[in-house]
Amino acid sequence: MLALSRKKGESLIINNNIEVMILETHGDQVKIGISAPKEVPIYRKEVYLQIQKENEEAGVTDRLAEINSLLSGRKKADDQKKN
Amino acid sequence: MKASTRLFGDIDIEDDKILILENGIIGFPDMKKFTLIYDNESGNQQSIIWLQSMDEPHFAMPVLSPSLVKPDYNPMVNDDLLTPLGEFNNEDLVVLVTLKVPANAKDMTVNLKAPIIINYANKKGAQIIVENEDYPVRYPIYDILQSIKEEANK
Repeated sequence: MLALSRKKGESLIINNNIEVMILETHGDQVKIGISAPKEVPIYRKEVYLQIQKENEEAGVTDRLAEINSLLSGRKKADDQKKN
Repeated sequence: MKASTRLFGDIDIEDDKILILENGIIGFPDMKKFTLIYDNESGNQQSIIWLQSMDEPHFAMPVLSPSLVKPDYNPMVNDDLLTPLGEFNNEDLVVLVTLKVPANAKDMTVNLKAPIIINYANKKGAQIIVENEDYPVRYPIYDILQSIKEEANK
């Protein structure tokens, strides 16, 4: 990873079209401003990773029949027969 | 467009049924082409839909309309994030939430934080992180679905 020191108010330019500026620092907290083209998605990493994990776990399920029955009411009817 | 899917076998999808998510879904930027597969057997409009990847045939995510499980769902979205949808009319937008069913079905959740939004007029879509701070990534829905079924069976 490239490490660069910056002071408050200083910036980085990435790929000619993205600017990352240090706006404020308070102890171990840093406020960052990002100017990027609208089509460039920007995420907080912990949120990104959480949603990536949800997508991955949701997308590899093999429980087709079970999931299809969730809303259909059939499973419930079967349960009642057993009782 | 043809694909040999894991859940649905060989499918052949007409071009106008292919959805383009130019940024992919979050965490999987290379999956850009999808199609929606409906569960016809149940004959129930309000049912699970499958967001089937055309690039990764093993990947199919169950999705559903948030109106089913969260009737007051009102995602707040930064307009810039909607750029992948192209120009759109609100009435052409379809919002879907992803469903995760773990080993214990009672732990099933939908992701209210990152819905899939599709512009049906041009078939472009994106997964968007919404600004609503009270919308969790894991919103439990088992009890909600049970009460819907009980209503339906009355």
